[in-house]
Amino acid sequence: MLEAQKGFGRQRRYREQKLAFLAIRLAAGLSLGVMAAIIIYIVVNGVPALSWAFLTEFPRDNMSAGGIFPAIVGTVLLAVGALLTALPLGFGAAIYLAEYARPGPLVTAIRLGVANLAGVPSVVFGLFGLSLFVTTLGFGRSLLSGSLTLGLLILPTVTAAAEEALRQTPASFREAALALGANRWQAIRQVVLPAALPGMLTGAILALGRAAGETAPIVFTASAAYTLLLPDSIYREVMALPTHILNLATNSVHIEATRPQQFGSALVLLVLVLGLSTFAIVVRAKLRRGRQW
Amino acid sequence: MVAEPQTIIEARNVDFYYGDFHALKNVSINIAAQEVTAMIGPSGCGKSTFLKLLNRMNDFTPGARLAGEIFISGASIYGPDADPVDIRRRVGMVFQRPNPFAKSIYDNICYGPRLVGIRKPQDLDVLVEKALRAAALWDEVKDILSKSAMELSGGQQQRVCVARALALEPEILLMDEPTSALDPIATAKVEEWIKNANLTIVIVTHNMQQAARISDRTAFFFMGELVEFGPTMELFTRPQETQTENYITGRFG
Repeated sequence: MLEAQKGFGRQRRYREQKLAFLAIRLAAGLSLGVMAAIIIYIVVNGVPALSWAFLTEFPRDNMSAGGIFPAIVGTVLLAVGALLTALPLGFGAAIYLAEYARPGPLVTAIRLGVANLAGVPSVVFGLFGLSLFVTTLGFGRSLLSGSLTLGLLILPTVTAAAEEALRQTPASFREAALALGANRWQAIRQVVLPAALPGMLTGAILALGRAAGETAPIVFTASAAYTLLLPDSIYREVMALPTHILNLATNSVHIEATRPQQFGSALVLLVLVLGLSTFAIVVRAKLRRGRQW
Repeated sequence: MVAEPQTIIEARNVDFYYGDFHALKNVSINIAAQEVTAMIGPSGCGKSTFLKLLNRMNDFTPGARLAGEIFISGASIYGPDADPVDIRRRVGMVFQRPNPFAKSIYDNICYGPRLVGIRKPQDLDVLVEKALRAAALWDEVKDILSKSAMELSGGQQQRVCVARALALEPEILLMDEPTSALDPIATAKVEEWIKNANLTIVIVTHNMQQAARISDRTAFFFMGELVEFGPTMELFTRPQETQTENYITGRFG
C-alpha cells in the first residue's frame, strides 16, 4: 500500500461513518421528537380538564361541562366487542393458513386478500358496516354493529400477526408431538398453540389499541353524540372517545368553549391506547419467560 | 454358541418416492430386537428417509409414495389395519436437534402418557422418574422438574427428548442423528446411554466412528440403495462391497 494512501483512506472512511451516523441519529431523533411533541401537546392541554368528575360523570350543558364517562365505557365496550369478533375468526384463519392449508392458488388468494384488507381505509369499513350490519342485518346503529365493524377492521392485523407467530414456532415441536402419538389437532392445540400464544396475543392487543382509537368505522355504525344512559344491551348506541372528540371539535354548539373537554378526551384516549400497548408488552414478556427457543 | 437374534423390524422390497424423486430403491432388511442398528451413508442416501418410514413420520410429507411392505413384530405397519398413531406410540423417535416442548421438564415427559389417558398425578410421578432414570438424567434434574426444559443444556435437552420417548415404553427407539447438534461431552453421554440401553435402537448417523463405537450391526446406504448390512465389526474391517470400502475409508462422503 502506498504510504500516502493509508492516512487518506482512513480519514475518509472515518468521515463517511460520522456522516452516516449523524443522518441515522437525526432520523431517529426526529421521529422520536415528533412523537414526544404530540404527547406533550396533548398532555399540557389535556391535564387541566382532568378531574375525577371528568372521568366519572356524564356530559352537561351541551358538552361544555361535566365528564366523558359514557364515552370511556363505550370505547372499552367497542374494543372488547371488536376483539371478541376478531379473535376467533383471526386465530382460526391463522391456524388454517399456517398449519393445515396446502400451498396453492387458494391459499395465495386468501393471504393476498388478508394483506389487502389491512390496507383498506377505515372509512370504507365504516360504510361496509353501515350497509351490512346496520341496514341489511337490521342491527341498527348499535354496540353490536360497531363491534362487528371494528372486528372486521382489525381482522387482517390479528390474522397476520397470529399466522406469523404460528410460523415462528419450530417445526420440530410439531414433529415431536406427532412422533409421540399425537394427532395433528392435538399437536397444534397442546404444543404449537401454547408456544405461539404470546405472539398471537401481542398482535391482538396491539390491534385492540387501534380499534379503540378508530373514528370512521363507528361514526356510521355505533356512536351517538350523546346518550342519557349507559347501554343496557348490545343493540344500543354508545358514545365513544374518538367520535366524542370529533363531535366536540366540529359539530358542537360551542366549539371553542369545549376545547378543554376535547383535549381531556384526547388525553384519556391516548392513555387508554398506550396502556393497552404496555399491557401487550407485559403479557408477552410474562408468557415468554422460559419459553425461548 | 450365539442364538440367532430375533427379527423385530422387517422391510420387504421397499421403494419410496418424494414426487418424482426415487428416494429408496428396493430396500429389504431385517433388524434384530434388543440390538443397536446403525444406518450410515452420505447425505441424501436415504438413511433418514428409511428411518422415518419405521414410525410413519413420512405420512406428513406431501407427494410421498411407498411401495413394498414393512412389518414390526410381524404386523404390517402400512397395511389397511395399521393405525399410524398407535405405531408412533410403539416406535419412539429422537430427532437431530433437541426439541423439547416449551413446557416444564415434568410436562415434557408426561406428554405421551397423558395422550394415552394417564392422568393420575401419582402414576405420572412414577413414569417421570422411571423415564428420566432410563435416560440417565434423573440425578441431574430431579430437583428442577418444574423448570422449563428450554433452560437445560443441549445434552440435557436431548436426554429429556429420549426420556419423553421412553415414557411411552416403546418397543423400538429411532434416533435421527441424535448427537449432531451436541458438543463432544454431551455426545459421549448420549452414546453411553445408547450402549447401555436395554432396547431395540435404530440410529442414523453420518459419523462412522460413532456407528463403530455404539452399534451391533451397521447398514450402509448409497443413492437410495441398501448396499451392505452386517455386524458392525465385520462391515468396518472386511467390507464386502467396493462402495462400502470406499465410503468407510473416506474416499468419498
